[in-house]
Amino acid sequence: MPGEVDTEDYADVWVFIEQHDGEAAKVSWELLAKGRELADEKGERLVALVMGDSVTHLAEEAIERGADEVLVAEDPIFEPYLPGPYGEQFRYLVEERHPDVVLIGGSHTGRDFAGRVAVPTYAGLTADCTELDIEPDTGLLLAKRPTFGGDAMATIKCVEHRPQMATVRPGVFDAAQPDPDREGTITEVEVVVDESHQRSRMIERVVGDITDITDANVVVAGGYGTEGDFGPVEDLAAALGGEVAATREAVEEGWIEAARQVGQTGKTVKPDLYIACGISGAIQHLEGMNDSKTIVAINDDPNAPIFDDADYGIVGDLFEICPALTELIEQKRGETA
Amino acid sequence: MSQEWNIVVCVKQVPDADDVSIDPDTGTLNRSDAEAVLNQPDYNAVESALQLREAVGGTVTAVTMGPPFATAVLQEAVALGADDGVLLTDRAFGGSDTWPTSLALAAIAEELDADVVICGEESTDSSTGQVPPGIAAHNDWSQLTYVEELEPNPEEDELIAVRDIEGGHEKVAASLPVVVAVGFGLNEPRIAGLHRKIYAENEFEPQEYSASDLGIEESVGLAASPTSVGGMATADPVERKREMVEDVETLFEELESTGAI
Repeated sequence: MPGEVDTEDYADVWVFIEQHDGEAAKVSWELLAKGRELADEKGERLVALVMGDSVTHLAEEAIERGADEVLVAEDPIFEPYLPGPYGEQFRYLVEERHPDVVLIGGSHTGRDFAGRVAVPTYAGLTADCTELDIEPDTGLLLAKRPTFGGDAMATIKCVEHRPQMATVRPGVFDAAQPDPDREGTITEVEVVVDESHQRSRMIERVVGDITDITDANVVVAGGYGTEGDFGPVEDLAAALGGEVAATREAVEEGWIEAARQVGQTGKTVKPDLYIACGISGAIQHLEGMNDSKTIVAINDDPNAPIFDDADYGIVGDLFEICPALTELIEQKRGETA
Repeated sequence: MSQEWNIVVCVKQVPDADDVSIDPDTGTLNRSDAEAVLNQPDYNAVESALQLREAVGGTVTAVTMGPPFATAVLQEAVALGADDGVLLTDRAFGGSDTWPTSLALAAIAEELDADVVICGEESTDSSTGQVPPGIAAHNDWSQLTYVEELEPNPEEDELIAVRDIEGGHEKVAASLPVVVAVGFGLNEPRIAGLHRKIYAENEFEPQEYSASDLGIEESVGLAASPTSVGGMATADPVERKREMVEDVETLFEELESTGAI
């Protein structure tokens, strides 16, 4: 069988530092913190990987945030991200240096190219993990991911192949804090890709036109019960300085853009406060919001399952409750201002 | 490259997510009663494939991997308008994780001389989203994932897509052959016509391929899968207060006193 490897030849925990226009994705720093723990547990080194043009500042930051070594592949070909060059360069580094564990952010970028590394290296790749552990006896990575709409956690292992790769959801781990006194090595690696690996070209890249609900502290979400009128949901979100989100049904009805969908086929959010308005509480939706700190459910059906997954529930018409709550919040703001 | 495109659409049979329930006594999942249906995001994939065919010309072939009864999802795709269907069926495929699954789909895409392979972005049962990039990687083709808009550019033998990215979007042109993962809900899937439905259910027979037909019998199945399931546990339920409040004032006070607002 192809791809049999001597697992003893593989060591170190690698973390991919995703960056766009010189700015690191937050999930990269989160993975560096988790990667540090895993590396210490295994008694191995933590290695960060940076690809891009003019990215030395990120290599330095990776050391401050926990990396022992940073591999830097610097070339204009890595700007902007395209799966061909990233996958090929990463494949080369894996085959050259034999990492034991490779962690990549579960962003659209990370999930786009992780397979382009795992396939040619015959690595085991576990997608969209929310927990990572080391199995004490074997030192194997235990990559845990929600499955079946989030009601079960599957533990995935990779026993005979290397590296053990995982993409990890943003927001699951706390980011490593920089320590300017930390020391580490920065290694410039050979760039092995050229235009022939591109196969696609970026026409334009626009960031900032769509709100990233995954980063919001307060999320006010509307479901079928809004009947297409998101006005009260938007007003409440505005009063709380939060973001508007929605269920799959609301997106399918065309009431709101897909980028704001929370749930299994949408985004995962983890705000301090999540207010579910007119949402019944299908498990596919719960999977996307279950990590919220405080959940409030507003629904006119007292039997709606969402109330079982909420800290506070109120039975009633969202078209009355949302505006009343908005008013109280605005009053409070007026008093404290 | 030919003027008309060979379009392959990958579809998957999954348990109907709406039928999956939790046993209230044991806290375990009960999906034995769940009906097998076409993976929801694949309806968008089929629709995209049909729209591409309408724009460029060519054929749409639906492909699935599974036991003989998975023919049902091919029938569904044919009823919607796919020209033909291929069933990859073989005990050798059993237990395949995403590496061999994407290998098998890559092999059939090559066999069918595909210009474009379209998939739904995830399956609702395992939701790894890894298979489309896996197919592209096995064949060393270009890829477009998380696609929200798709338009062909046949003059340049390429597809142009708007991809969803965190906080924005990007517009990318990819050369054929290309593997596309379309975002859930990117289009409004059509309803199957009655005649087409009758044909799909009564006359349509899928082409069948085994692992050895594709020359990959040594590289698929459980033994060829790099990953294995090391355990399954019910997710720890998040403890919620489940406090019902009578009026908005009480809700506001509760949220204020706990520091939530």
